[in-house]
Amino acid sequence: MSTDSRKTEGLVIRQVDFSETSRVVTMFTRDFGKISVLAKGAKRLKSSFEAAIDLLTRCEIVFLHKPTSSLDILTEARLLERFRASAHDVNVYYAGLYVAELLGSCSEEFDPYPRWYDAAVTTLSRLQSESDFRLIVLRFELFTLAEMGLLPEFEACQCGRPVMDNQDRWSLWVQQGVLLCSQCRQSEMSTRPLTGGVITLLRRLSQTEIADDFTPAPTIQQLKSIRHLMTALISQTLDQRPKMLAYLKY
Amino acid sequence: MDEQTHPYGPSVARLIEEFAQMPGIGRKSAERLAQYVVNMKKSSAASLIQAIDSVKRSIRRCEVCHALTEKEQCDICSDSRRDRTLVCVVEQPKDVISLEASGAFPGTYHVLHGSLSPLNGIGPEKLTINSLIKRIEADGVTELVMATNPTLEGDGTALYISNLLENRGVRITRLARGIASGSVLEFANKEMLADALRGRQAF
Repeated sequence: MSTDSRKTEGLVIRQVDFSETSRVVTMFTRDFGKISVLAKGAKRLKSSFEAAIDLLTRCEIVFLHKPTSSLDILTEARLLERFRASAHDVNVYYAGLYVAELLGSCSEEFDPYPRWYDAAVTTLSRLQSESDFRLIVLRFELFTLAEMGLLPEFEACQCGRPVMDNQDRWSLWVQQGVLLCSQCRQSEMSTRPLTGGVITLLRRLSQTEIADDFTPAPTIQQLKSIRHLMTALISQTLDQRPKMLAYLKY
Repeated sequence: MDEQTHPYGPSVARLIEEFAQMPGIGRKSAERLAQYVVNMKKSSAASLIQAIDSVKRSIRRCEVCHALTEKEQCDICSDSRRDRTLVCVVEQPKDVISLEASGAFPGTYHVLHGSLSPLNGIGPEKLTINSLIKRIEADGVTELVMATNPTLEGDGTALYISNLLENRGVRITRLARGIASGSVLEFANKEMLADALRGRQAF
């Protein structure tokens, strides 16, 4: 059986004990997407992987890829950066785990998304350095939906009526991911109500690069409205409500 | 040879299966242990069975700290010389044994029986955090030493507890981390060195 050695950079998004000293580690890598590797002896104090394979660490890895269905083997891991949650806000820890959950749940093995990987690294970095986790998480959720090709258009109703930044009542048809003006919405559609101001904010959040500074000051009402909408959209994408949303406090 | 059968009969096959469930025991080791049991005197086998049965009957959680003990309260919690206002929070009962071996801690312990791991379905309600809060109020605890594992989940658990106890007048500290005594800087990784620099103290 032939194996080939592959080198890349990745984030640890899940780890499960495999035996007394080994672990199966799921990583989201820049070049290969999600991979699961067996890290032999990872739990030993003097393991060759050191602290590199803790959850949410970013590391440079070498692994042996097996063409059969058996697990790939991690042979080297060098720590690049460790995620350190704020000493004051447990939500930062939960937000980091939510990023890992989205990466794990929305991706398939060996399906690379380099831009999504870079966005995740930037998001984790921002979570550690900025004080408000809420907009950082929202921007990553929007980016995730965009990478999946499931981000709704926040420009106009399907009838063509453009969204104005005012208090008009709009709705988003979650199942179809389309905006509806008050005239197009029908009662049998499962929709989320939105104001023009919220839609404008969503559009700006989704159009700004994650690495760029963008610090709008939404009202609590707008944040709640966006949160409800994002929960519905992400749950629709995953076919279930993400576990971490039960912990994040908005 | 089929894993479910054995030339000696199904009872030996079952014994091998049971041994193979144990940590660190592979199939070969399980077969060796089963062979040992087969060759044991009846009285020794009965003694082994009794020892296992006795452990399973008598071991329980200490009603104060949730460490494992055969009494209602463990030896540490029932020792009047231990400082009850100083509590060290650990993830597993075996961590108590490790810390006690250091002989450097005069307080008592609290075992969480895990760490906060929401992605694996372990939330605060599955740990002994409520009992810790009650204990802090009842015993007038003044300092909690967070000795959870230095991993993201261990740190997250410590963070959750410290957030919960904010404004309750309890001093919260955590174990120092960094370079191991007796090692050399050359072989310390950058994470260890960063931790050691962050936690440096006056000479």
